[in-house]
Amino acid sequence: MTTASATRVGRAARTRGGGGWSPPEPLPWLAPLLAVATVFFLWPVLNVLRLAFTDSTLLREDYAYTLQTFEQVLSDPSLGRVLGVTGIFVGASVVGQLLLGLFIALIVQRAVARKLHGAVLVRSVVLCAWVMPGVLIGVVWQIVLNEGPFGLVNSVLAEAGLAPVSWLSDTKLAVVSVVTANIWRGTAFSMLLLYAALHTVNRELYDAARVDGAGRLRVLWHVTLPQIRPVLLVNVVLITIATLNTFDMVLSLTGGGPAQATEVLSLRAFNSVFVSFNLAAGCVFAVFLLLAALLLTAVYRRVLGQEER
Amino acid sequence: MTAGSARRARIDDGLTYLGLLAVLLFFGIPLLWILSLSLRTQEDILVTTVNPVPEDPTLGNYGEVLSSAQFPRFLFNSALLSAMGSIGAMIVAAPAAYAFSRMVFRGRKKLLVAVLALQMISPLVLAFPLYRYFSSLGLLDSIPVTGFVYIAILMPLATWMLKGFFDGIPTELDDAAMIDGATRWSAFRRVVLPVALPSLTAVFVISALLAWAEFVVPFILLSDPANLPISVGILNFQGNYATNATGILAAGSVLAIAPAILLFVVLQRYIVGAFVAGALKG
Repeated sequence: MTTASATRVGRAARTRGGGGWSPPEPLPWLAPLLAVATVFFLWPVLNVLRLAFTDSTLLREDYAYTLQTFEQVLSDPSLGRVLGVTGIFVGASVVGQLLLGLFIALIVQRAVARKLHGAVLVRSVVLCAWVMPGVLIGVVWQIVLNEGPFGLVNSVLAEAGLAPVSWLSDTKLAVVSVVTANIWRGTAFSMLLLYAALHTVNRELYDAARVDGAGRLRVLWHVTLPQIRPVLLVNVVLITIATLNTFDMVLSLTGGGPAQATEVLSLRAFNSVFVSFNLAAGCVFAVFLLLAALLLTAVYRRVLGQEER
Repeated sequence: MTAGSARRARIDDGLTYLGLLAVLLFFGIPLLWILSLSLRTQEDILVTTVNPVPEDPTLGNYGEVLSSAQFPRFLFNSALLSAMGSIGAMIVAAPAAYAFSRMVFRGRKKLLVAVLALQMISPLVLAFPLYRYFSSLGLLDSIPVTGFVYIAILMPLATWMLKGFFDGIPTELDDAAMIDGATRWSAFRRVVLPVALPSLTAVFVISALLAWAEFVVPFILLSDPANLPISVGILNFQGNYATNATGILAAGSVLAIAPAILLFVVLQRYIVGAFVAGALKG
């Protein structure tokens, strides 16, 4: 920490010591951005913080300040289940996307290096999943996992003489399905970042490790991964926040069901406001999401700060 | 290279192909399955089969979707909101990104981190108070007003990516223009922007793709079916067609995905590089 601030001071001193040169005025350049940020970010965030301490609903205009909404949300017996399923959803998605993204980045890199066919095709197909609107991803997986005759996975099971599986109507399996669909959706992002990072790894270290007789997994663990550590951390932060903030795919895949088994935090926030009309409760959940965003921004900043040194 | 290591490399090649195939199947089959269902008649869909090639392929589902009152409207609204959001975001982000890249001022680093923090905030959090506020002003269910919110949520990432690109353009270019008597603004417009054109295109396309997929904001701020973009409208479609007309739902999905995938495949080279640069530069 002290080294970081020392470099910052040093840099500032250098840039200020430019003799008679006066810095250009940045304000007109930044004004549109600052205006948009104030109206559409700062003002709403301040209001969310304010409304979380009220009893505001969508059904009437007036409201009173109170701590009751916070108490109600925190003492709601279903809160534990929501946080639990959010934890599983985010944790499993992040681990799955990271590992699968790393695997694809590694084999695509090897395929390109050895001039094998199909690497570009594979990369393009993975990326197609990523540019799709979330609701459509839910629709696609809803059809693929369906228990009707057109459900692909159950058709394959039937072909193999196995009984159909209730992927979307069993409370435990529905969570598995939602996580699988989210890994399918988001892996491309990790693949892109890690593929770029792998190109920065020092090849001489590889060769040295190989000459020493290290196996492939040992090289990966002791040589490759430590070198791309900052990118791995940045990657984890970005996909954590993206998964935490998403609910469109869940909405069309399971609707949060069965029996609210897949109701993640942001879906609960939405439901509080637009199903129960309890604006204040939704804002309390929004405060949770804001705290997570703040925390993850701090982590991201630290990671990039370390990388610069 | 010894004979042993050559053999080992060939075995590795085989394993690499196996891995590529597994990835291709996991990511490709759901898409292929939807395409296959979209080409089947309703009777065909109710036959349990794993054969992706339809017995009696038909384009009837597509005809049905395109002649429905709502679907073409959804696509048009999506195009409108994407264009408005991404063009607006570029107009707001480009001068700011240039200032972050070229000018020295107090709080520059803090402000950059603040822009990054904006990117982390869920649009859901913003939409609650905006809904309440717009409702009292009578601004709900308006495509132009919603377009402004699109501009706001696309702005942070566009700023970061553009700053990265401007950093890569030598300052000598602007300096030379300004020594020749140009103001900083005209140096930016006539010298830097033309040089940055490929990057501007990439940022524009990424913003448009994100806008095409945006869900929360239109879901909350728009409600009249005539105003909905496809990312929300497909939910209506799912409600209407899921159980008795899966083929039509599948055809609708293919039509909704196609513009994004087409745009993406054509411009893939630019986009991939730009995205990685935007995400990794600090």
